[in-house]
Amino acid sequence: MDIFLTSRIASDVLGGVTNGVIYGLVALSLVLVWRSTGILNFAQGAMPMMATYVGMIAFGHFFGYWICVVIAILVGFLIGAGTERVLVRPLYGKPEINPVVVMVGFLTVLEAVAAAIWSSTPRSLTTPFSPIDFHLGGKPFALSAFSLYQIVTAIVVMVAVAVLFRFTNLGLQLRASALAPEVSRLLGVRVNRMLTLGWTLSTGVGTITAILVSSNFFTGLTPQVMDGIFAFGFIAAAVGGLDSPVGSIVAGVVIGIILQFVGDYVNSNAIILVALFILIVSLMARPNGVFSVVKARRV
Amino acid sequence: MNRGLSSRRVITTVAAVAAVALSFIVTPSSRDGVALAVLATLTVIGGSVLLSSDLRRAHPVVTRAATSTMAVSVSLVATFFFSSTTNFNLATGAAMAVTLVGLSFLTGVSGQVSLGNGAFMGVGAFAMAIWSNHHSTTPIVVTLLISIVAGALVGLLLGLPATRLRGPYLAGMTLAFAVAFPAILTYFNSWTGGDGGLQLPNAATPPHWLRALYVHGTTSLTSGTLWLTDITLVATGVAFFFMANLFTSRVGRAMRLVRDNEVAAELVGVNLNRARVLAFVVSSSYAALGGALWTFLNNSVTPATYSFALSIVILSVIVIGGIGTIPGALIGGLVYAYSTNVINWITNQTGLNPQGNFASQLNGIIFGGLLIVTMMLAPRGVAGVYYTFRHRRASPGGDVKSPSEETYAEA
Amino acid sequence: MIQNKLSRRLSAGVAMMLCAGVMTFGASGLASAAPKTPGVTATQITIGATVPITGIASPGYSDVSRAANAVFNYVNKKGGVNGRKIKYILKDDCYGTPGFGCTGIPNTATQTRALLSAGIFATVGSLGTPTQDSVRTLLNSNHVPQLYVNSGSLDWNNPTKYPGLFGWQTSYNEEGKIFAQYISATYPTANVCYLGQGDDFGSDGLAGLVAGGVTPMDEQLYSVGALVVTQGASIAPYVARFQSDKCTVVVLDTIPGATDATLGAALKLGYSPHWIISSVGADPVTVDQPFASLPIPDPEIGAVSFSYLPASSATNAWNAWDRKVLLADKKDFPNFTATSPITGNMTYGIGFAVAFVEALKATGKTVTRAGFLKTLTHLTLSQTPALTPLRYTPTNHQGLSGGYLVKVTSSSATAALNGQVYTTDSGSGPVVKTKAVAPSIPAWLK
Repeated sequence: MDIFLTSRIASDVLGGVTNGVIYGLVALSLVLVWRSTGILNFAQGAMPMMATYVGMIAFGHFFGYWICVVIAILVGFLIGAGTERVLVRPLYGKPEINPVVVMVGFLTVLEAVAAAIWSSTPRSLTTPFSPIDFHLGGKPFALSAFSLYQIVTAIVVMVAVAVLFRFTNLGLQLRASALAPEVSRLLGVRVNRMLTLGWTLSTGVGTITAILVSSNFFTGLTPQVMDGIFAFGFIAAAVGGLDSPVGSIVAGVVIGIILQFVGDYVNSNAIILVALFILIVSLMARPNGVFSVVKARRV
Repeated sequence: MNRGLSSRRVITTVAAVAAVALSFIVTPSSRDGVALAVLATLTVIGGSVLLSSDLRRAHPVVTRAATSTMAVSVSLVATFFFSSTTNFNLATGAAMAVTLVGLSFLTGVSGQVSLGNGAFMGVGAFAMAIWSNHHSTTPIVVTLLISIVAGALVGLLLGLPATRLRGPYLAGMTLAFAVAFPAILTYFNSWTGGDGGLQLPNAATPPHWLRALYVHGTTSLTSGTLWLTDITLVATGVAFFFMANLFTSRVGRAMRLVRDNEVAAELVGVNLNRARVLAFVVSSSYAALGGALWTFLNNSVTPATYSFALSIVILSVIVIGGIGTIPGALIGGLVYAYSTNVINWITNQTGLNPQGNFASQLNGIIFGGLLIVTMMLAPRGVAGVYYTFRHRRASPGGDVKSPSEETYAEA
Repeated sequence: MIQNKLSRRLSAGVAMMLCAGVMTFGASGLASAAPKTPGVTATQITIGATVPITGIASPGYSDVSRAANAVFNYVNKKGGVNGRKIKYILKDDCYGTPGFGCTGIPNTATQTRALLSAGIFATVGSLGTPTQDSVRTLLNSNHVPQLYVNSGSLDWNNPTKYPGLFGWQTSYNEEGKIFAQYISATYPTANVCYLGQGDDFGSDGLAGLVAGGVTPMDEQLYSVGALVVTQGASIAPYVARFQSDKCTVVVLDTIPGATDATLGAALKLGYSPHWIISSVGADPVTVDQPFASLPIPDPEIGAVSFSYLPASSATNAWNAWDRKVLLADKKDFPNFTATSPITGNMTYGIGFAVAFVEALKATGKTVTRAGFLKTLTHLTLSQTPALTPLRYTPTNHQGLSGGYLVKVTSSSATAALNGQVYTTDSGSGPVVKTKAVAPSIPAWLK
């Protein structure tokens, strides 16, 4: 058992899962926004980045880690709700390009503002968990207290989102307003409020992700911290299906594992090339995602 | 009307003769005189064609050729007088405008969104550098064409999934390509020179035929940068001429129909997939030409230049200029070329520490903000505002035609 | 109505003709020569540089040009050089990576042209190998000297093709040779692994290592593009390979971000070889930033690196002078205090700035470009912060050609490993032990 756990294959799988849950979480936050408002939010990395700076850096002078995490998530909620109200609401029913452009503009503004306030120097976030891998029989196996924390957090978030959508009245209203806004409105659902809630939740999930990513001690927190991660998250969401929360998470983890093997056995400079290849091939095969329930529109 | 036409002919002839005569009288060095005389004559002829409304109606292609010729000639003559910095800015902006007009076509006419045109520029830029390093004697025109073909091929590869993708998926896929692009380049480092990029082998030596035309006279010519500017401007003119025709061609109309009503398009026999892929290929070829011109202007290319940020910049300036229009691309190119100067001016006026955090991020704040405001208030940018204004004046109370419908009238 | 239209056309035609005429006329008046030295007046000399103030290369490196500016400000306060104040124009080129920090793309060329139109005497201390390579031809054809390029590439030493181009720091190749000498003396039987950047930084460094007699058993080149996109995760597989290769000595030719990723990955794996890190990516303050809040000591402590400038912990006259200069410049360093660490990047900027003002002083009251370059190639500067003499010759424009080994002693300081200073060349020449130059400061700068 020990020998297997410290083997090259096992550590690639474990490392892949650790990265993959991050891609899955980003994908999940994209799916939440897509399902509620039909918009692919290109600022989905930058909004949580801002919340992380405010919560973990600005408040980091006064409070400990866990309080800061709570503050950051609350700030994330606020940013998500505010964005939907101010920036996104005027865009419903407009051509597809409008929300794309506006959110790209918002991404630019957020990264510039963060760099103007906090500079682009990487910030190190305090973590309560050690990033050093556990050892079994003197050999490391690719899991540390921090990566366990990361995986457990991801699972908790995913379960929480699933419970909310499946088993609560609020979740029912959320799903209803996304699928049939007019009918829901007639039935007394406050559709506008539900749309805002979708963005709020999504940015909250994103903020948890951003905190995990920037606690990663390879790089720390920078204004661009989520740019690359967003690309991988999008690939996971597109492969899994933008309307499928489960699909996007599964896709994220699978892609994480595949890329880990590519990095180990092929060349880590090829990781992004392979990711792009996966995206193109899967979109050619299933344009609406592997797990999508909506039939592709044939023309 | 006849009388008008003949007077126009007289005016044209007199103007052309006078221009040629003047250029020989005032330029002591005969060869520069020839160059200027040719340009002046082209300007006058182009202008006079445009002045005839009959000709404009009867031969739109000739008119567009005249417009391009005149615009290029005027700017070429202007480059003789501008400083080398101004010329370089103009050329950089012109190459950017080529990229922009491709994106304008893709989004405005065919209704697809690309966030990867910075990477397509990079394809052209590197195709140019790689080819020049292996075949340093290839004429510049051929090298530019090769870069365009490279851009078209990569565009085709990425455009194939595009036949099956709706807007946000396509935008996301092009985004993934743009983010991945610098890493892809460094992966093929034996070709692309890795993170260090490539230099052009025969940097800054004008081809023979051009040297023969330009050899004497002005110092700016011999210092070796004016010819770069001029070739870029000519290439831009040619690219815009083709694009103006494409906007109004049958293909362009078919694409607009695909954008507005797929079912109707299918009914009249348009192949939807082919139209979408074609638009994608055109857009990536134009981006590749823009990138190749940048390599040509700078004699070198590095992967870092063609990062995701460039694609965002491209999207911003075309939106500000006016997406879906041809003049919008030109405005966008100018905005691009002079944004740095404007930002510096603002920094100086507001007394910000130019090396401080805030001043260095001002560009992002202003452009990102402009992007949001433009999309909210005037989705067709500066060009769109102009069209709407003109139409209100022309037909008060009447229906405002869709700006994209009549852009060709302008071009 | 027709009459009206016709007259409009007539006037338009005439206007166009006039236009064409005026344009043609103007062309003849263009050729005029400027006999004066550009950028030099009786009271001021204007120089410039393109540097990354924003973007991926800006963390740490933005201090370089600001520290140089602090030196110029200090000298200006003392009356300037031969009565001339120095004006230093800095343009942000984002290390050639476009973005909203700087939209004039490709930035280095655009920004260099902006410097040219501002009428500079020379560029002093522009940063980066690909960036400065791309403007060599431009500057050379405009006869603008390109001085003290901030890069250890060998590209700056080509006096026949680029007579005005001068490097400054010890080349990556020479660093590699000196590392090799240290490795073969200290770890003669160790397995050596190598990780370098996928450009001439990596290839020159590796060539130096091999030329010095150390052939790594595993050599890997990382891509900056992949590093940026994956947030450093692309480095981890290399480190895992080195661990399974059982390398006990690992040489890194990495930028600070990649050094962080390497040390982080090794930390995670519980892998602790002897690190030997190029001066480019070893600055302790910069490298420590992502590790600062971790409950473990800075993993860079104990690593061996290379320097040609005084170690920050050393009692050196120049260190005290550096602090004085930085404290005096409240605009560039508003938060710098008497106890702030002086980073390697700051001493680097101060180093070439001092070298420039001393060369300018030696040129005398009359400053021409030819005169300055002649002074530069016939002068040996031994009173700069560098520990080896700065000696350019008409055939060698590389700059410094040696240095000494340092050890990272804390998250903000380095100390000399031993008192030994080495010099070598970028060819097949041997690594020679020499004496460090005395750290004295010219009287007029004190």
